[in-house]
Amino acid sequence: MDKWAASLDTTRPPSVLTAPPDAERAKQRHEQWKKLASRVIPPIAVLVLFVALWELLLRLFSIPPYLLPKPSDIGQAAIENSANLFISVRTTVVEALLGFAASVVLGVLFAIALALSKTVERSVYPYAIVMQTIPIVAVAPIIVIWFGAGMNAIVIISFLISFFPILSNTLIGLNSTEQNMKNLFYLYNATKMQTIWRLRLPAALPYILAGLKISCSLSVVGAIVGEYIAGIGGMQGGLGYAITVASTRLQTAYLFACGLSAAIVGIVFFLIINAISNRLLRSWHDSAMNG
Amino acid sequence: MNMNAVTRDDLQTPVGRSDAKLLVSMQQLGKVYPNGTVAVQQASLQAGEGEFLCFVGPSGCGKSTIFNMIAGLTEPTSGHLSVLGTTPKEARKQNEIAFVFQEHTLLPWARLIDNVTLPLTLRGVPKKERIAEGERVLELVGLKDYTKSVPRQLSGGMKMRVSIARALISRPKLLLMDEPFGALDEITRQSLQDELLNIWQKERSMSVLFITHNVFEAVFLSTRVVVMTPRPGKISEIIDIDIPFPRTDDYRVMPEFSHYIRQVSEALKH
Repeated sequence: MDKWAASLDTTRPPSVLTAPPDAERAKQRHEQWKKLASRVIPPIAVLVLFVALWELLLRLFSIPPYLLPKPSDIGQAAIENSANLFISVRTTVVEALLGFAASVVLGVLFAIALALSKTVERSVYPYAIVMQTIPIVAVAPIIVIWFGAGMNAIVIISFLISFFPILSNTLIGLNSTEQNMKNLFYLYNATKMQTIWRLRLPAALPYILAGLKISCSLSVVGAIVGEYIAGIGGMQGGLGYAITVASTRLQTAYLFACGLSAAIVGIVFFLIINAISNRLLRSWHDSAMNG
Repeated sequence: MNMNAVTRDDLQTPVGRSDAKLLVSMQQLGKVYPNGTVAVQQASLQAGEGEFLCFVGPSGCGKSTIFNMIAGLTEPTSGHLSVLGTTPKEARKQNEIAFVFQEHTLLPWARLIDNVTLPLTLRGVPKKERIAEGERVLELVGLKDYTKSVPRQLSGGMKMRVSIARALISRPKLLLMDEPFGALDEITRQSLQDELLNIWQKERSMSVLFITHNVFEAVFLSTRVVVMTPRPGKISEIIDIDIPFPRTDDYRVMPEFSHYIRQVSEALKH
């Protein structure tokens, strides 16, 4: 009551009356910043501390850079070879994207085909699992024999490694539609395809996107493994190829730079898929509510 | 007082109004599940146009099984069942039967307008017509300002309204409701009961078959209460509720109301 009396006091300048909402908003903005800072600052502090310690210890014990390079060595190697590094990153990104895109399209289509018929699912799905358990490194040479060293083989290897999570997640999603909802569609005389497109596929979206999150990083791994085995030489080699070359030449700092770049590519892929996922699910699914 | 308590022996004779068209006709209907459970035994009942029939009984009395047989989700194992003058499956293809379940069964990713128009979408009705009908039914349930909302923005009672709107969109002759208000609180439940009766009175020819385990709800809503008892599930009595419509909240405190409550409760003990 006293507060109200004070703010309504006519002897005070009129601006005092309008001040509280503005102050409130400013306070809210301040709170939001504080919240963001409390989430961002600790991991950054850890990173800075880690890098500084790394640099300091290596300088202190003067460990040769071909065994373990200092952060500054890695940075220098990356800058000196920036043209090559850029080409390698670009090549790997293209390969991984193609492999990932193929696994999304074929993974989802395959899952729909399996979901349409229980008989087909029961007869084919076990082999999909068996296929998944074969180590990709063991299959890769055959793929190189069939498709030749280079881009084709690398994209196929990237596809093979990222295909299964999408297939299995989509299939689980398609099969987990509520019975009530399926009954509803059945009672309103929906066709099988209508039920897939209008009910089962949208309902499976959270599962599909979870599959994409796993697969997008795997596709980068697949591309790099593919380059180890089927890498193309010359100026167009990807990160995997650059890593093998750097290791034979004992350019450890550049090797680190390539490895870090590969990690960054994987993280960026993940962040993009994560953002798409949150956007698609934001309005209706619990998983994206507080993201 | 005119309360025709129908005993099991009378069930053979049609109870519905003689002039009304028969929408549902069951004779000696039975359902035995493959594991030997007798879900429904010798159920005979006829429902005409413009009726409001409540099936009341404890869980396991076969009321949902009867519902599923009328909807064509399961086949009876004995007796005869005709819906809209044909088999349940054929009847469903005429798009004149609508369904409401205890769960709202709304598509969580779809806006309300897309949710209520779903039956029309599945039938391939043009978009313009669909939207017009969607707006009509959303207005009917008092949610016309929410066409662009998604279900999770609504309360439980509002979701159930949307579910009812979706059922009404094809102007059904027969509305099947399986414990639609079972998950709602008492206050919301009563206001939805009032609304449902209002809507039913506007669509004179529509018949409602309503499953509930709430005796008060059954007596408040229906023209006839079908009392079912379990093990094995069977119709034990059909009680006419001779109270004129519109029924208001006053009806809930009338002596006739408590009289019918007692009658139905007694029948449930058999």
